Amino acid sequence: MPASRRPASRATFTFSGQIRPDSFAEFAAHRAARLSIALDTVALDATAARLRVSGAPDLLDAFEMAMSLGPADCLVREVDRNDNN
Amino acid sequence: MTGTQWVPLALARDITPGTSAGTVAEGAEIVVWRDTDGRAHVWEDRCPHRGMKMSFGFVRGDHIACLYHGWEFDEGGTCRKIPAHPELEVPGSICVARYGCTETGAMIWAALPLGAEAGELPALPDAVPVRSITIEAGLISVANMLLNEENAVIEGALATLDSAHGPLAIGVQPIRPGAVTLHIATRPGASTETLLAICDWAETLRRTAEKEIAA
Repeated sequence: MPASRRPASRATFTFSGQIRPDSFAEFAAHRAARLSIALDTVALDATAARLRVSGAPDLLDAFEMAMSLGPADCLVREVDRNDNN
Repeated sequence: MTGTQWVPLALARDITPGTSAGTVAEGAEIVVWRDTDGRAHVWEDRCPHRGMKMSFGFVRGDHIACLYHGWEFDEGGTCRKIPAHPELEVPGSICVARYGCTETGAMIWAALPLGAEAGELPALPDAVPVRSITIEAGLISVANMLLNEENAVIEGALATLDSAHGPLAIGVQPIRPGAVTLHIATRPGASTETLLAICDWAETLRRTAEKEIAA
């Protein structure tokens, strides 16, 4: 079955490091839209962003990779992933 | 250039079926490609995956594939295949931005800027492509040189004039401040000698324009 026809996966990511909340939120929203992922920001401050997402499993992986790189003015040092399926 | 405008990006002849070429207009990087059925496409020259220029990619029928990771896009700009995820039905949100485009007067034209509604470009008379030439001089100084020719008129991005070698239709593509590409066409039936003479005329124009800048 094609990946995007499988039941959507859900995951909660915590990206920790040096976070500029505005640009990180904008970056996350853009990437989520590009990957057709539903995004819910659980918590966001200068040290961490906690994001709940759902979408095609392969695209959640892509989202994790994109966000681990982050926008240019943020530095992600650690990613914690909790799959909710 | 201000507002929305049709801008010529290439001589139609120079983009053969199954090929792509990168260009720049008003500082925007653009890919012009033609599918194997002959339809021309004008897109932002940037793969949404890693930013690689799509102009380095490969045309596959009515798709174009990025050189970098093989992401393949259909004629609507939507990604249809990600080779690293063969089972994935790619969502339509993964796409390349497209420009409105048309072909007329032996040139491929695009509506700039991106997302512009430029209306329809009136059909131009049939023409024979001669050559494109890039001049390292400002748009205004090149336009003034063209206007020095007999019966010269510039409407939008098209100059028409009567040169010593016959009538010319010249598409003016602003590359960036200080650089312009001219796409030159002439009347059907022009002889090889005439076409060569127009090429010489264009090179003289370039030398003169660039000399004025250097002076």
